[in-house]
Amino acid sequence: MEFDLAYLAAQWPALMRGLWLTIQVSALSIVLSIAVGLCGAAIRVLQVPVLDKVVVGYVEFIRNTPLLAQLFFIFYGLPGLGLKLSLFWSGVLSLTLWAGAYQIENIRGGLETVGKGLREAAFSLGLSPWRFFRLVAAPMAVRVGLPSMLNTSISLLKNSSYLQAIGLAELTFVAIDRISMDFRTIEMFAAICVIYLALVLTLSFFASRLEYRLNTPFRT
Amino acid sequence: MTKTISAGRMALSALAGLGFAFHAEAQSLPPLPEAIKSAGLLKAGVRCDQPPYGYKDETGKFAGVETDMAIQIAAWAFGSADKIELTCVTAENRIPQLNGKKVDLLIATLGVTPERARVVDFSKPYRWGGSDMLVAKDSPIKKLDDVAGKTVIMLKGSTQAKWFEDTMPKVESLRLNTASDALQSLKQGRGDAYTHDAATLIVIAAKDPSLRLVGESFAVSDAAVGVRKNEAAWLAYVDASLDRMKAEGLYAKWVEKWVPADIRPFYTDAFTKPKPTAR
Repeated sequence: MEFDLAYLAAQWPALMRGLWLTIQVSALSIVLSIAVGLCGAAIRVLQVPVLDKVVVGYVEFIRNTPLLAQLFFIFYGLPGLGLKLSLFWSGVLSLTLWAGAYQIENIRGGLETVGKGLREAAFSLGLSPWRFFRLVAAPMAVRVGLPSMLNTSISLLKNSSYLQAIGLAELTFVAIDRISMDFRTIEMFAAICVIYLALVLTLSFFASRLEYRLNTPFRT
Repeated sequence: MTKTISAGRMALSALAGLGFAFHAEAQSLPPLPEAIKSAGLLKAGVRCDQPPYGYKDETGKFAGVETDMAIQIAAWAFGSADKIELTCVTAENRIPQLNGKKVDLLIATLGVTPERARVVDFSKPYRWGGSDMLVAKDSPIKKLDDVAGKTVIMLKGSTQAKWFEDTMPKVESLRLNTASDALQSLKQGRGDAYTHDAATLIVIAAKDPSLRLVGESFAVSDAAVGVRKNEAAWLAYVDASLDRMKAEGLYAKWVEKWVPADIRPFYTDAFTKPKPTAR
């Protein structure tokens, strides 16, 4: 069976609709997961009682269970507990929870590099722990943690393909759905691999630009 | 196997006594192609979530009419019902499994469509299968047209997915991977109806009082065995085996074995009566 470009052209609008959904669900989840990461890391570093144990448990739970199992739990399990989320929000929630755990560790890793001296200096200047976190620690930690945060975001973007399993019509869903009807396996998988590659490269490009910007004060 | 065959003949002579006309002499099968013979066993793809055709019983063993068909072919080909390796296939992966040579034939609720005929060869049809819809007991959906503007749950790559796309493209679809995912989603209200092969839905509806069948048949198609393209000798062998199953009245026997009496007539008709006309 040879590579059929005309077939690919005919399916292009459907692929683009899938791509758009992939972008929406991933972008939202990346932003939310970074928010989760910042909150979780702050709780850990500021050693908020009880909550820091919850964060540790959450991170361990997410990192040691398969994403697909988490996804099925959210989509099929939660309705049994009275929480029925739509396809889209089930996807956003599972990706956010998954990536959030990694972002907590990424940002916490960055926070570890903020020296003890700085903390003491801040406190002796009368900064509250929260203001110290917001004004001193977080900006420095994010700079240090940026490469690993980008890594997690890229994984999130790629893992959005798991959402095909619950029927969310994202990019991989479109490909698998079409393949199951038309059996143009090579065309479709080649197309989505190229599209994912382009997406990830774009994301990396903007992240490296951001990294460059954030590093401005430290360049000579 | 001789035992089961003679049991089949006994059932046949009983039927013949009721006035049915059959010719029951065992037919000779063509020679087994070398490629299959040298493997020493039959690698068959069957469904494992489609009772009563192909499913796994409570103990996790392969069960169902189509599973028995595969075992019967192995028994004729290799002289023993044990010379078989059954693989669980899904609607979505069955054709890739066949063309990737993981299995040598599919007896897996495979409906005959032009798209599929482009990539696999079909045997003669061995039964027909229609589609139906399953809805909640108190659902306002009473006929096929009532789903306009509603969400219908279906499996990726199923006959119904294709049919809705071609015939009622305005219907919102939720496409999932397995029948159990689809049923779960229907019960959680993620869609208004779940469309699939009527044969599958009848079993579910009989077991679950919270659901009912809509009862309007559509997308009726033939089911056939799928083999890879350009394997004419193997296809001929499969065709001859199917003829022999029919001649020996094995289908009726298997339906009796796997289908509870209250829903049996539908399945007996599917294997033994001509295909009805529908949308």
